[in-house]
Amino acid sequence: MSMLGSYLTLAAVLFCVGLFGVLTKRNAIIVLLSIELMLNAVNLNLVAFSKYGAQPSLAGQIFSLFSMTVAAAEAAVGIAVLIALYRRKATVNVDEYDELGR
Amino acid sequence: MSSVFSQYAWLVPAFPVAAFAILTALGRSLSRAGAVIATIASLASFILSLIIAIERIGQNAEDYVGGIDWLRTGAVNISAGYEVTNLTSLMLVVVTLVALLVNLYSFGYMAGDGRISVFYAYVALFTASMLGLVLADNLAILYICWELVGVCSFLLIGFWYQKPEARAAAKKAFIVTRVGDLGLLIAILLLFWYMPGHALDFASIHNVFDTQSGIVSMSITTLIALLIFVGAVGKSGQFPLHVWLPDAMEGPTPISALIHAATMVAAGVFLVVRTFDIFEASSAAMTVVAVIGAFTAIFAATIGLAQNDIKRILAYSTVSQLGYMMLALGVGSVSAAMFHLFTHAFFKALLFLGAGSVIHAIHTQDIREMGGLGRRMKVTAWTFGIGALALSGIPPFSGFWSKEAILTAALEGDHPWLFIVGVVTAFFTALYMARLFFLAFAGKPRGNAEQAAHAKESPAVMTIPMIVLAALAVVSGFVQTPFKDWLGEWLTGEASSHGASGLVLVASIAASLLGLYLGWLAFVRGTLRPDAVSSRLPWLSRLLERKYYIDELYQLVFAGGLRGLGRALAVFDEAVVDGAVRLTGYSVRALGRLNTKLQNGQIQTYGLAAILAAVILVLAIAGRRFW
Amino acid sequence: MFANVPVLSLIIWLPLLGSLVVLLLPGRSGGAIRWAGISFTFVSMVLAFGLYASYLPLAGGGEFAEHGSWLSVPLNTEVMQDTSVTSYRLAFDYSLGVDGISMPLVLLTGIVASMASLASVHIFKRQKTYFSLFLLLQTGMYGVFLARDVIWFFIFFELTLIPMFFLIGIWGYYGREKAANRFLVYNGLGSAVMLLAFLILIATLGFASVQTDGGIELTFSGSYDTMLANLADPNAAAHQAGAWLLSDNLQWAAFILLLVAFGIKLPIFPFHTWMLKVHAEAPPPVVMIHSGILLKMGVYGLIRFAAFLLPAQLHSWSAVLAVLGVINILYGAVLACAQKEFKLVLAYSSISHMGIVLLGIASLNETGFEGAVYQAVSHGLISALLFLIVGSLHERTGTTRIDELGGLARAVPFTAGILLTAGLASLGLPGLSGFIGEFLSFLGLFSTMKALTAIGTIGVLLAAVYMLRSVLAMTYGPLPEKLAGLKEARFIETLPMVVLTAFIVLLGIYPSLLTDLMQHGFDGLLRELQTGVGG
Repeated sequence: MSMLGSYLTLAAVLFCVGLFGVLTKRNAIIVLLSIELMLNAVNLNLVAFSKYGAQPSLAGQIFSLFSMTVAAAEAAVGIAVLIALYRRKATVNVDEYDELGR
Repeated sequence: MSSVFSQYAWLVPAFPVAAFAILTALGRSLSRAGAVIATIASLASFILSLIIAIERIGQNAEDYVGGIDWLRTGAVNISAGYEVTNLTSLMLVVVTLVALLVNLYSFGYMAGDGRISVFYAYVALFTASMLGLVLADNLAILYICWELVGVCSFLLIGFWYQKPEARAAAKKAFIVTRVGDLGLLIAILLLFWYMPGHALDFASIHNVFDTQSGIVSMSITTLIALLIFVGAVGKSGQFPLHVWLPDAMEGPTPISALIHAATMVAAGVFLVVRTFDIFEASSAAMTVVAVIGAFTAIFAATIGLAQNDIKRILAYSTVSQLGYMMLALGVGSVSAAMFHLFTHAFFKALLFLGAGSVIHAIHTQDIREMGGLGRRMKVTAWTFGIGALALSGIPPFSGFWSKEAILTAALEGDHPWLFIVGVVTAFFTALYMARLFFLAFAGKPRGNAEQAAHAKESPAVMTIPMIVLAALAVVSGFVQTPFKDWLGEWLTGEASSHGASGLVLVASIAASLLGLYLGWLAFVRGTLRPDAVSSRLPWLSRLLERKYYIDELYQLVFAGGLRGLGRALAVFDEAVVDGAVRLTGYSVRALGRLNTKLQNGQIQTYGLAAILAAVILVLAIAGRRFW
Repeated sequence: MFANVPVLSLIIWLPLLGSLVVLLLPGRSGGAIRWAGISFTFVSMVLAFGLYASYLPLAGGGEFAEHGSWLSVPLNTEVMQDTSVTSYRLAFDYSLGVDGISMPLVLLTGIVASMASLASVHIFKRQKTYFSLFLLLQTGMYGVFLARDVIWFFIFFELTLIPMFFLIGIWGYYGREKAANRFLVYNGLGSAVMLLAFLILIATLGFASVQTDGGIELTFSGSYDTMLANLADPNAAAHQAGAWLLSDNLQWAAFILLLVAFGIKLPIFPFHTWMLKVHAEAPPPVVMIHSGILLKMGVYGLIRFAAFLLPAQLHSWSAVLAVLGVINILYGAVLACAQKEFKLVLAYSSISHMGIVLLGIASLNETGFEGAVYQAVSHGLISALLFLIVGSLHERTGTTRIDELGGLARAVPFTAGILLTAGLASLGLPGLSGFIGEFLSFLGLFSTMKALTAIGTIGVLLAAVYMLRSVLAMTYGPLPEKLAGLKEARFIETLPMVVLTAFIVLLGIYPSLLTDLMQHGFDGLLRELQTGVGG
């Protein structure tokens, strides 16, 4: 059981690092990478619970596989959007992506 | 004895109402024809009134009450009723007679005015309202007519509407009398709720207050009486609401004679007479009436001494004489008051018509620009002289008898101070009348040549009413002499056989003669310098000339106060009330703008907000467990 | 006269039909549009007068009542423990009726709307839209006075707001848009508050239970008559059913909400500022309607709902109402004395006169109530007349500022004469209608609150001050040079002036015309005040 705590701690640290990156980094690529980091933290949690949870089962691991697939698709779409934006604005600085506020 | 014609009394005001309707409907196209219609209507009213009055003379006629339901609602059931008593029939005759004469007179005086039919329409409406006021059998209808005569007075004062002074005077007359009307209105409201059966008719009032049954408590009785008196003070130009009456002289002179001398201003006295039972039930109210009356009498007489406008002198004289009437009422003598009202109506109307004749001839109202008119305007001078003698209280003219009756009543009522005030006022009265008469009619013309050339006698249509009134000013006093109290008996049903009091006769005759003599010395002989007083006591003459600065005081306190309050409240309304509204609108907008700042388009900011919110939510949920 | 004819519906819906007809007319035919607008207005007025002619005060107008089901929402019967309940629903019926209180106001609406339609001939901008909205507004106004279901009342009330908003916002003067916004926001707020109060009423007083063969039918409805019946009968189902019902707090909430809602309309100080803007900025025919009728919807609502449905609250707050009334009277009057623009003088004088209505309502006796309604009718006629003149003058001189006008008695004697008459009526001259309303209101209140009434009567004096000050400044005195070429009013303008003046004089000379009509209108309320509250 003691292993669960370590995994969760690692996942929480990973998540917070990702969150910090998402909220503070100016570079859109890094923001995307940070999102991946957060997703992976979640995956780690899923796997950890599937092994050491109250009712261990494969569901968690399968779920993490889903999550990784979706993350890959998301990264693809995200990068595509980013490229489109870059073509339009010639920058990857997220501060300048503020059309909503105008 | 039932009286046949009394039941047709409603026709008396109906004639002028019809005339008013016709004149208003047909408008200016009528021109002089309108004047004829109105005069015929007033003639018809006069004849009918005369018949009604004659029928009641000599017989012990019953009062006649008639009318229709007018206002039915809840507890209120007010009839549009009329009542014919000896008192009202007397008033009917006085009002219709003066109205008829003024109608005739205006033929000459107003000739050439483009709006003559409007003038006659107003006069007809006034006559009708005044007759309605006289006939009304209850206070509500009386109040309505009371206001209507007020508004007619207002319209006629402002008849020459282009003149800013006329406009101001009309406004002032309406507003100042309205102060009094407010008192009367509250009195009516009080009466309504305190009278058994919510009755407002005079018969019920008589029954309730005459018997001192205690149905209405003493303090309420006094309050009602005083409030009614406030109404009378406003209408009759008593101190402190006298200020409108002299200004009302901006109106055409026939109007001054009809409304502001003979009829409407006497309505206040008439009102007190009508509700006299209430006053009699409260000695405090009686004292107030007497004191205000006496004070007004002497106060206005002193102002009259220092005025130079012929109509204003007469106006202050009217105020003063009305004070006499109030004094009579205050000492408890209805018959003396009504007697003086009766004689005063004739001789004061006469004086105003005479003044009008003078103004018509030389187009000035300033007595310093007159002089020597007696030779050029004989009829006017003679009739005016008779009026002046009657007003001054010289026997055997009518004013003497009525003034004597009042002074006797004061003395008999054990009010020596009021008696003395009355005698002193009589002296002042004689003095200012002498000044007026001698300055205007005696001596040499002081005006410019053009005025002198114009000074010729007025046409017969103007002089005949004056002659009629002059005749009445001579004889009307004999209806009630110390030796035969005929009028008082007819009016009140009881003979007040006071007999002749030597003291009163001597005092009043002496005061009047002294006044006339001093006036003669000063303004004809020249042995007494007219400015003997004013040169020694300049502040006194200035005080009198400026009418004790009452107008200025009111202007400052009331007009200024209202204006100041209005401006302050306007600022309040704009800044605070509307400000609060705008503040609400502004704060909502400001909140919106604040929120807009948050929406800066940076996903990261939104994310941060979302995270913070999530953290707070978690903490809150977690915190609840330990609560 | 109206056997089997749904006259109330006709009065309400004919203007709507007219509105549609006007919309279908070709836009260029100004004459036809005007003609259609005016004639549809007159048809409703004629019907209203027909209604008046066949109205019997004793019968209370019951024979004219119309009823039809409209909206019925079934509620979940399962929550009921009682199995004998067969139907449980919300019902809002189309229900119309007329009585001694609404009859005078319907007449007033007919007269003022017709005269305003005649005064609308000055409107040339977008005539089609104008007359269409104008007629729509009438549907709302008649509906407000005739509806007998709170939801229908609310619908009609809202129906007056929208046309009014556009009428002010499109055809007004310089600051029209601001005024229209202010109008909409304030009145929208009032409506929201009113709806809340109505919901409370529906959920409490609107409960009815009917025993039928099959079982018990329970309904929550907006029917005014159900509410009255529930109120009058302490054994009514609503009282028995408990739960929701009639707690003191809810009643108080409803009363205060209604007071605010109708207080905004009336308007009661301090909710009056919107009304000043409307008076100053809206086109004169619209102000005639607004000041003449729409303000009276506040009076009507206050009496109809706040007084009739919540008499206990009215009874304990009568002093508050009276104080508010006196504040209104004096505040409005003093401010009217300080204005330089005649339209604002009239606006503040309206505030002052509406204070007298409040006094009448606060009196809690028949005299006062009738005085309040009388005052409402009379003020409607007088202010309509005054704004008619204002419109006519503004058309000619381009200004209604007091200091820029003068001597109109010489230039336009007829208009000036009518203006003077209207001014005198407004200041409560006996013989004209304004006096009767004031007199009855004061008389009514005097029985309970003497000192307050005495203070209130000062307003009558101030009315003389501000009215004479402004009217005399405009009509008397020398004529300014630039007004020398002024032309007298045309026939189409003088006609409504004469008609309105005639009604003002008629009601002033013979008040029983109207008081007889109202005679039994307040019976129910008075009974309630005597037994329910006093006992």
